Amino acid sequence: MKKNWKYNLCWLILMVAGFYLINTLMLAGVINTFIENMLVTIGINIILAVGLNLVIGFSGQFSLGHAGFMALGAYATGIMTQTMNTAGGFYLSILVGVVISIVVALLVGIPTLRLHGDYFAIATMGAAEIIRIVINNMKITNGAAGLFNIPQFATWDVVYIFVCLTTIVTVNFIHSRDGRAVISIRENEIAAEAMGVNTTKWKLSAFVLGAATAAIAGSLYASYLQTIVPSTFGIMESINILIFVVLGGLGSITGTFVATTLLGVLDAALQSLGVLRMVFYAVALIIIMIFKPGGLFGKWEFSFKRLLTKKQDGDMKEAGKESK
Amino acid sequence: MTDALNADHITKVFGGLTAVDDVSLHVGEKELVALIGPNGAGKTTFFNCLTGVGPATTGTVKIGGQEVKKNTKAYKVAQMGISRTFQNIRLFSKLSVLENVLIALTNHYKENFLTAVLRLPAYYKTEEAMEERAKELLKDFDLEDVMYFPAGSLPYGTQRRVEIVRALATEPKIICLDEPAAGMNPEETADLTRLIKRLQTEYGIAVLLIEHDMSLVMNLAERIYVLAEGKLLAKGTPSEIQNDEAVINAYLGGGADV
Amino acid sequence: MQTFFQQLINGLSLGSIYALLALGYMIVYGISKLLNFAHGDVYMLGAYWGYYTINYLHFGFITALITAMIVCGLAGVIIEAVAYRPLRNAPRVAALITAIGVSFFLENGMSYLVTSDTRNFPQVIKQKTFDLGGVMISNIQLIILVTTLILTLGLMYIINYTKTGRAMRSVSTDYDAASLMGININHTVSITFALGSALAGAAGVLIGLYYNSIDPLMGMTPGIKAFVAAVLGGIGSIPGAAVGGFLIGLLETAVQAMGFSAFRDAAVYIVLIVILLVLPGGLFGKKQVEKV
Repeated sequence: MKKNWKYNLCWLILMVAGFYLINTLMLAGVINTFIENMLVTIGINIILAVGLNLVIGFSGQFSLGHAGFMALGAYATGIMTQTMNTAGGFYLSILVGVVISIVVALLVGIPTLRLHGDYFAIATMGAAEIIRIVINNMKITNGAAGLFNIPQFATWDVVYIFVCLTTIVTVNFIHSRDGRAVISIRENEIAAEAMGVNTTKWKLSAFVLGAATAAIAGSLYASYLQTIVPSTFGIMESINILIFVVLGGLGSITGTFVATTLLGVLDAALQSLGVLRMVFYAVALIIIMIFKPGGLFGKWEFSFKRLLTKKQDGDMKEAGKESK
Repeated sequence: MTDALNADHITKVFGGLTAVDDVSLHVGEKELVALIGPNGAGKTTFFNCLTGVGPATTGTVKIGGQEVKKNTKAYKVAQMGISRTFQNIRLFSKLSVLENVLIALTNHYKENFLTAVLRLPAYYKTEEAMEERAKELLKDFDLEDVMYFPAGSLPYGTQRRVEIVRALATEPKIICLDEPAAGMNPEETADLTRLIKRLQTEYGIAVLLIEHDMSLVMNLAERIYVLAEGKLLAKGTPSEIQNDEAVINAYLGGGADV
Repeated sequence: MQTFFQQLINGLSLGSIYALLALGYMIVYGISKLLNFAHGDVYMLGAYWGYYTINYLHFGFITALITAMIVCGLAGVIIEAVAYRPLRNAPRVAALITAIGVSFFLENGMSYLVTSDTRNFPQVIKQKTFDLGGVMISNIQLIILVTTLILTLGLMYIINYTKTGRAMRSVSTDYDAASLMGININHTVSITFALGSALAGAAGVLIGLYYNSIDPLMGMTPGIKAFVAAVLGGIGSIPGAAVGGFLIGLLETAVQAMGFSAFRDAAVYIVLIVILLVLPGGLFGKKQVEKV
């Protein structure tokens, strides 16, 4: 039990070091607004992608509706912080977004998680579209025009901390008894049931946990950008998150971090190219998938334990939580 | 003494086809029973009725004297004390052998979301206890050398063994083995025979065995049920079955795999 | 009653387009088990082909339609060979991402080449409206309905009564068994993509004619709805996909007529989810059960 503290400490040091590194670069002026913007976007995308990887990569349920849950968090924060313009109000709005998201995830998940493969994908996509269309037509959300002048509480450091927190929660969940039950469903649902694993319950837990973290990402997004419109949270956003996950490797949190960062940087670097940027992006996507169909990292995880013990035991304790 | 398994008047109808027709079978505590029959006799369908994968149309199943209610989900049936292996091996093939066994232990250890996520001492304690138990089982069946290998990468015979150990790890009252010797050479079959015997003698678990390999069945089973075309053709001790006219005609006589 | 029939005709016209898209989507999905996100973009290509050939080469409607089908069929074959074939044995989700990549590529490539402006589709056929006892039906609506009918019947004939169709059906049931029976898999998959994409191309020309406006992103939503229609009808059933397409067209028109046009798409998805939950195999499909 004692030895585990060593690895946990390594992760803690890494997280704190990452924070100070960014902070120093920020003070030194190396990180300008443009780069800060990029880093925050990457951070928010990491939260989204890690949550979606839990649902798709670990529980094996192909959800295409992640952006719907993000929208719930974004609008909870957008609406609430306009009247409660304090940090407390902001954190309360995150909590409300998470709770709403969990309730909706239960409502959507309980009936649809019975569906398999593409049918589940298309059902979740439909559910997310319904969420978006409802937001698009409500008064309190200001319809298609969206909300603006949302007070900014989510600065880069807040986002950084939430990236660490949501990742720790997700990774620790995966490496527990419950997480193993979730993974067994992906591997072989019928065998999992024969082992007494309540597949419905664990699929739902993964789905709900993914939805909750997506809501957090949405809240941060709304508060950082200060403007939200319903069209942001459409099918394209769900697909974008999916791309991060698949590119990094389904079932590899390390991969999700690397892929999200790479694509975030690529996206920012190609910004000046206009429409051509998306053409290059598309070609890059096709080429990477043809040569690396399992994603960049497959199911591989970075682990301090393996690094430090050098014991080839394939153990996958704590996984990727590197800095943004 | 309660029976490990009681199946009474099990009938399974698919569309218009009666795949299993009024079959009754019981397996006593720590008993080793075999179910044999030609291909298509409905053996696997009958297994699926017992384990809740494809519930019976009519009839009742009792596990350890406890009745399985209608529409009980497969995982609940499994929790009642029945475990199984599959004809076409169903391991969690990308996970390690150890993880396969750990998953089977899921319901015997309590862990909650908060202790796991916050990595409280309770989490490490449960994890250690689970790992210890899993390793103990693996060691007992000579699988400790391969416990960190992905289950799918192992030789066929070893995969069969892992599947049986995984089934054992759920601490069932009865294990149902669906053609465990299929595709094995004589040496592997001999190993398997010893392994199945140990389930009964060392672990005190009842075994219901579907098998084509007659030598295995005749060596192991205390009683044998014969299924043909969905109906129970005969039951009795191995010697009784070997001398049964109907069985010889329907199965033993014609089969090349005897 | 009059409005009812009027909306019925409008719904059927729109539904025809969805039906053509859904048919193409379904046969491609049936053989490659791939959510082909680029399908809607092939339809967009068809519309642009129609736009340029009618405007600059002065093609008539029939020539434009047929050449659009050929060109889109070719595009489908190329897309399959370049982006999907290398991934045939890879995890399905990898192929899905390349499909998204192809979709992005076509949408943005076209935006780059022809700008993302919305264009007016040339009126190659002069619109005439017939009054059937108060119900208005235009010649364009008739053309759309008739074209859809002919193409659907043609597809059914190919799939059910020709050697190619038999090869397609066998490949979509089991790749390995089909190849053991001497069927050329690559060839069959190519033909399927050609047929499916040709139908999308035809739909593109028809929608241009009907709605009179085209843009590079026009294929996104219809592409997704085509899959919804195919699922609704039941994957694997040709009449199912056609009926699914018509149903979605009718549903959208009905919701719009009732004054809820903002919730048009939401209604489609609600119906989809309900159908999937009640009839997991769709209206005409069979539920797949995994054998233990």
